[in-house]
Order: sequence, then C-alpha cells, then structure tokens
Amino acid sequence: MGPIVPLFNISNEINLLMAFIIGLGFGFVLEQAGFSSSRKLAGMFYGYDITVLKVFFTAAITGMLGLIFLNFMGLIDLDIVYINEYYVTSSIIGGVIMGAGFIIGGFCPGTSFTAAAIGKIDAMWFVFGSIVGIFIFGEVYPLLETMYMSNYEGSVKISTILGIRDGYFALLLIVVASLMFWIGEIAEKKFKREDIIDEI
Amino acid sequence: MNTRIIFTIIVISLGSIAAILPKTKTSSTQLTADELLMEMKLQTYVVSTDELADLLISNDPAIMLIDVRDSVAYQQYHLPGAINIPLKDLLHPDWIPYVDQISKKNIFYSNGTTLSNEAWIVTKQLGFRNNYVLGGGLNEWFSSIISPERPASTDPNEIWALYETRKAASMYFSGSKPAAREDNSTILPPIPRKKKTRVQGGCS
Repeated sequence: MGPIVPLFNISNEINLLMAFIIGLGFGFVLEQAGFSSSRKLAGMFYGYDITVLKVFFTAAITGMLGLIFLNFMGLIDLDIVYINEYYVTSSIIGGVIMGAGFIIGGFCPGTSFTAAAIGKIDAMWFVFGSIVGIFIFGEVYPLLETMYMSNYEGSVKISTILGIRDGYFALLLIVVASLMFWIGEIAEKKFKREDIIDEI
Repeated sequence: MNTRIIFTIIVISLGSIAAILPKTKTSSTQLTADELLMEMKLQTYVVSTDELADLLISNDPAIMLIDVRDSVAYQQYHLPGAINIPLKDLLHPDWIPYVDQISKKNIFYSNGTTLSNEAWIVTKQLGFRNNYVLGGGLNEWFSSIISPERPASTDPNEIWALYETRKAASMYFSGSKPAAREDNSTILPPIPRKKKTRVQGGCS
C-alpha cells in the first residue's frame, strides 16, 4: 500500500494512523449497510439480493466520474493513479477461487472482518481460513510462480484496450450498470425469498 | 417520479458530461509559469562555486557534474569528474538514467548559465529530481575559484577569509599536485529509475 496522503511528506506512522481511521470508517459502513450478513453476498449468487452488485458498481461509477472530473479540473494526475497490474491467468484462477469462497463462506475478505467484529462465529472461522490460505499460498508460492506471473499485461485500462476515450467508456459503463440494476431488481422479485431473520 | 428513475437520469447525464469533456492531461510534476518563476526567484537550485569547490575538495561521492556544453568545449576543459551531456542530447535515452535518478546530486554547468538553466528547466518540467545548476557557470568558476580577485587591505576579515579559502582551492585545482594514483575507475552508469512511482494499492 502506498501513502494515503501522498501530498505532504508525513511520516509512515501518521499514514498508518490515517489508514486505520479510514479502515474503521469502511468497516463501520459495511456493517451498517448489512454486509456482515452472509445472506447479502449469497443473495447475489442466487439472485434474490443484488445489493452487492449495486454497491460495487455505484462505488466504481462514483470513483470513475470523480477521477474524470478532477482530472478535467486539473486537480489529479491520472498518470500516477495506481492501476492494478493485470496478470491474465492468475486473475482468472483467482477470480474463480474468490467467487467460490464468496458463495461457500458467504463473506468477502472485508465483510468477514466486520462480521467477526460483531461476533459472528462463522466469520471468525472464515478469517482463520483466510489466514491459513495465505500461509499455504506463501509456502507453495515457488511452485506457482510461473503460472502466477504468466500472461502479464501491465497496468492497462479497459478504455485503452477498446481504443476509446475514458469518457466514452465511463458513459458506456454507466448505461450498462443502470441496465443491470433494473434487470437485477426484476430478478430480485422473481427469486424473492422469505425473510428468515426472525426465525434465527 | 420514481427515485430510481431520477437517479438513473442523473448518473447517465453525468456520464454524458464525462463523455463530452475535452481530453485534458493533468500532470502533477509540470510546474505552471508562476511556480517556475518562483523557483527561479528563490534560486534554490543554484550551487555556488564555493560550495562546489568544497564538495570537490572533500571528494563528495554524491555529486555528479554534468557539462552541458558541446563535446569540443568539453574536451578542451572540463571540471574534474564531470561527464558530458550536450544540451541537445539531454533527453537521449542513454542519458535519461543520469538526469532522472534519486541517488546523486546532479550539477549542470556551462560557460555562463544559459545552457545549464535550460537543462534545469527541461528536467524540472519532466519531474526529474536532484538537478542543480552551477551559479555563474565556468566563468564564475574561473573568476572566483581559479583566479580570485585580491580584496583591498581595508576589506573586512570575512572577505579575506573567503579569499584565502578560494586561493587555497585555486592551488588545489590548478597548482602542482602529487602524482595522482593511476585512475582506472570508470563512471558507472546509474541504475535506471523505475517509472514515476505509482501509489501501490489493492482491494478488499
């Protein structure tokens, strides 16, 4: 992770403190939005709750529009904004494993911690499992390294691959996301499940 | 109207604005004219000849002198340890690792300060760090260090102290010195710096 506040030369400790405070806020929001319930994440898979889809795409759209407008106003340098590096093979394999983990465990890494924080035992086991997984991955990494590093594409933007301007891609993504939200809500009605919170 | 419809309209219109915005490029490293003028006014990038003489005499390993004049002038005379990067070749890929690095203090010099200042402005605008200019250039080097002017006898002690230091430096740079050890060392090319540091990050 890089400095949270790269504008000034503030010490690493202050940076970590800022990260901690932001992290607390993030965790609090996740919990308040009901993400510590594994039904929210599983609902995405079964189609009866598309909150996760909405939240992730809303976050993406907000961030995307923010970056485009700030860049236009001369307030942010897009060249030094971190773009995740793209390793095709490991992205696909990792995506499948992560997706399976989502639906089996009912948490994403972030929500598992918020759920563990409010005392959910399955979430604590989930966190424990993540740590075991991290340990195993670290131990067998030399065996996986070739596969892990293969098909490296660098830091690429989808708009660059499509050969269109960032703004056009933003509009495209917004239209697609809006369509998904509307279709998702139809699906929510179709796959509706009874609220079982009271029974638990 | 349904809130969902309102939100959909708002977000799509924001997206449309994003799509029609002209393509702009914001660079965090490039200075505006005002900022550049301020840098020049403050003269923070200037290394005086006295400072340079001191650094050279103490064999400071952290400085790199860069002669931005052409190679003919460089062959005729150059400061000890200087490398030659003519101004027109400043951004040649071979030389980029020398001017875009973070380990040494580069000092540009030319006869006056015109070429060296140009080199500094170019590198500054590209966001390269650790580049400085020799104040007054070689002309100043000769008039202050190699043949310093003798102050009047009524001048204050500080001026005389400076004169004596300069005279000693002059002897160091131009006088007879014990035969130097045979120097087989070559100036090692610096390790190219990685592209502008991006903020590293990850997700959930």
